[in-house]
Amino acid sequence: MTLLEVKNLKKYFATQKAVDDISLKVEQGQIFGLLGPNGAGKTTLIRMITGIFYPDEGQIIFDGKKFDPIKDVEHIGYMPEERGLYKKMKIGEQTMYLAQLKGLKRSDALAKIKDWFIKFEMEGWWNKKVEDLSKGMSQKLQFVTTVLHNPKLIILDEPFSGLDPVNSNLIKDEIFNLAKKGATIIFSTHRMEQVEEICNHIALINKGQVILDGTVAKVKQDFKENLFSINAEQIPSMNGAAPFDIVGTKDQSHIVRIREGNNSNDVLQFLLQNGAQIHSFNEILPSLNDIFIKLVEGTPAARQFQKV
Amino acid sequence: MNKIFIIIKREYLTRVRKKTFIISTILFPLLYLGLIFGMGYIADKSKQNLKVAIIDNSGYFSDENLGFQNSIDDNSTLTLIKDSTEKIINDYKAEGFDGYIVIPAINWKEGYDSLYFKSEKSYGSSSTAAMEAKLNRIWSGIKNDSLKIGSEQQVILKKRLDVSPKNIQDENANAKTAEGIGYVAGFLIYFILLIYGSQVMMGVMEEKTNRIAEVIVSSVKPFQMMLGKILGIGLVALTQFLLWIGFVLIVYNVGKLSGGDMASGLVGSIQNMFASVNVPLVLFCFGFYFLAGFFFYSSLYGAIGSAVNEDMREAQSLSFPVTLLVIISIALMTAAINDPTGPIAFWGSIIPFSSPIVMMARIPYGVPGTVPWWQLGLSMSLLILGFIFTVWFAGKIYRTGILMYGKKPSWKEMIKWAFRKN
Repeated sequence: MTLLEVKNLKKYFATQKAVDDISLKVEQGQIFGLLGPNGAGKTTLIRMITGIFYPDEGQIIFDGKKFDPIKDVEHIGYMPEERGLYKKMKIGEQTMYLAQLKGLKRSDALAKIKDWFIKFEMEGWWNKKVEDLSKGMSQKLQFVTTVLHNPKLIILDEPFSGLDPVNSNLIKDEIFNLAKKGATIIFSTHRMEQVEEICNHIALINKGQVILDGTVAKVKQDFKENLFSINAEQIPSMNGAAPFDIVGTKDQSHIVRIREGNNSNDVLQFLLQNGAQIHSFNEILPSLNDIFIKLVEGTPAARQFQKV
Repeated sequence: MNKIFIIIKREYLTRVRKKTFIISTILFPLLYLGLIFGMGYIADKSKQNLKVAIIDNSGYFSDENLGFQNSIDDNSTLTLIKDSTEKIINDYKAEGFDGYIVIPAINWKEGYDSLYFKSEKSYGSSSTAAMEAKLNRIWSGIKNDSLKIGSEQQVILKKRLDVSPKNIQDENANAKTAEGIGYVAGFLIYFILLIYGSQVMMGVMEEKTNRIAEVIVSSVKPFQMMLGKILGIGLVALTQFLLWIGFVLIVYNVGKLSGGDMASGLVGSIQNMFASVNVPLVLFCFGFYFLAGFFFYSSLYGAIGSAVNEDMREAQSLSFPVTLLVIISIALMTAAINDPTGPIAFWGSIIPFSSPIVMMARIPYGVPGTVPWWQLGLSMSLLILGFIFTVWFAGKIYRTGILMYGKKPSWKEMIKWAFRKN
């Protein structure tokens, strides 16, 4: 089921086509990676999905209906990149306040806050102030306030910045947990290794447009360069008959590129027929990092101003 | 609607529970009283006793009549110099004088209108006025003696016609009391606009610098967020006022019971005020102009807070034009109190930006006597329209500004934000 669909979304600012005709579909239960260089238009796109900006053109379909910013924000949890809390306010009251703004009743909110505080070992924090917390602690609190109202759609913009590996894992586990329970997560980051670990679907945005959209596995397949890593003894001397070329060698491991018209079985057959002792045989898929850099390379590091 | 209520509650409670609120509520009346008594004390202490040498060439002035005048008014001591006048003129300081007046050889029939109090320092007209009065009293005595006018005739000659204002529509109107109430009401509104207006601005800036703004606008409309803040802080101001009114009532009742000397004076003056002024109307209008004026200005301050970054100086330079409007209102108020039915008073109390302060200064003079009902109605409706406009305008700026980081916008850019669609 599609939880969120945006169609031909446009938002132009005075000096930027921030979002220029973007269409995307996010399925329910997906962990959707929204990638792109700085200034690509991710934040503007997210702000339209969260009802902060009105699109200039295009449609947003949320949960099968036209997106209604006033009502639907109660089903969305958004943790912006520019985030923070009231420094002087007590943590318990603050969490309650944000929950009530999301439409939760006081008693419901209280029960939920207690559950989360216990889960994240934050029980003793209720009467502390945010200014007493470390950056990582306030980050955890921010995550709790984002997901407290059981949103159908959770949008996390750089959720791990400032977190140590232990707390990162805690949040990561929660993200998986929430997805398993049916929540849909849009995850925006520059950290490709996190995307690879967490997301099952990604979209890459550059200069306000989608330049790549698909599952992580499919994207990797699409960008593979037919490279394999072979760990074998006695690789036969290469001749014109071999279905591959050796690109690099280090001790017993070789990186080979399969020639056009052949497949991995041809390689194995050739090796076996020629009496090679094979220890391992792996396809080398490009990392998302490589794909990202390849696609975005050549774009100026900072987006230029343009006439709209 | 419900969400605005949640925001109002937070804005109100976090402020009212702060120590600074409690302290300022108690301290402000004390400071105010301290200021009034302190100024009186300082004015009393700083009276100058000028020592003036009178070099008389006319022969009319004597030690005796100068001494008599000195005993009436001890703010200056006039001393007649008969000998070594050159020495005084050259070095009056050595003889312990602050300055000297040379009276030429004049005739009692002609008089002389350009005497100078010569001194190395500059003195205000209030110091010379007292001297002038002393010399003139002596001069009148001399004229009376020369014209042979007896003391009975002198009394007759001193009689004059006095004209003071009396409002026939409002027999109880007392210009003095009205002026006092007008000043106090006008200044209170002035303080509220500046103090609580800047509180709104600081509150918005806090949300922006804490980076909580975007978290909140993903739950509520920016307009709700701004309105909630303005209403919440307005309620704080109202609470503080009610506490002060309660404080005055307690002092009044305790004073009435204890019946001390100062207390009875206070009670008397308050009763006097109740008799000459329509207190319920003044209180109602005060409440109205205080809230409406607050909405008018605080929304502008809120818009400024949303547009700037954490830098206080940016906020100050942007808010200067708004603060200037409040200060101009106070200047208009002073003119309006001197002439509560004049054109400045009329226009000042009709135009929304100054009406909260100027109208509040006029109302104690009497409605409908000094301020006709239609003027009050027009002023109120224009102010309501005015604050609806500023709240709308500020909402537009706020929506853009609150998520904008970086360069401080100019007023021109902010007006552009307000009028572009979306």
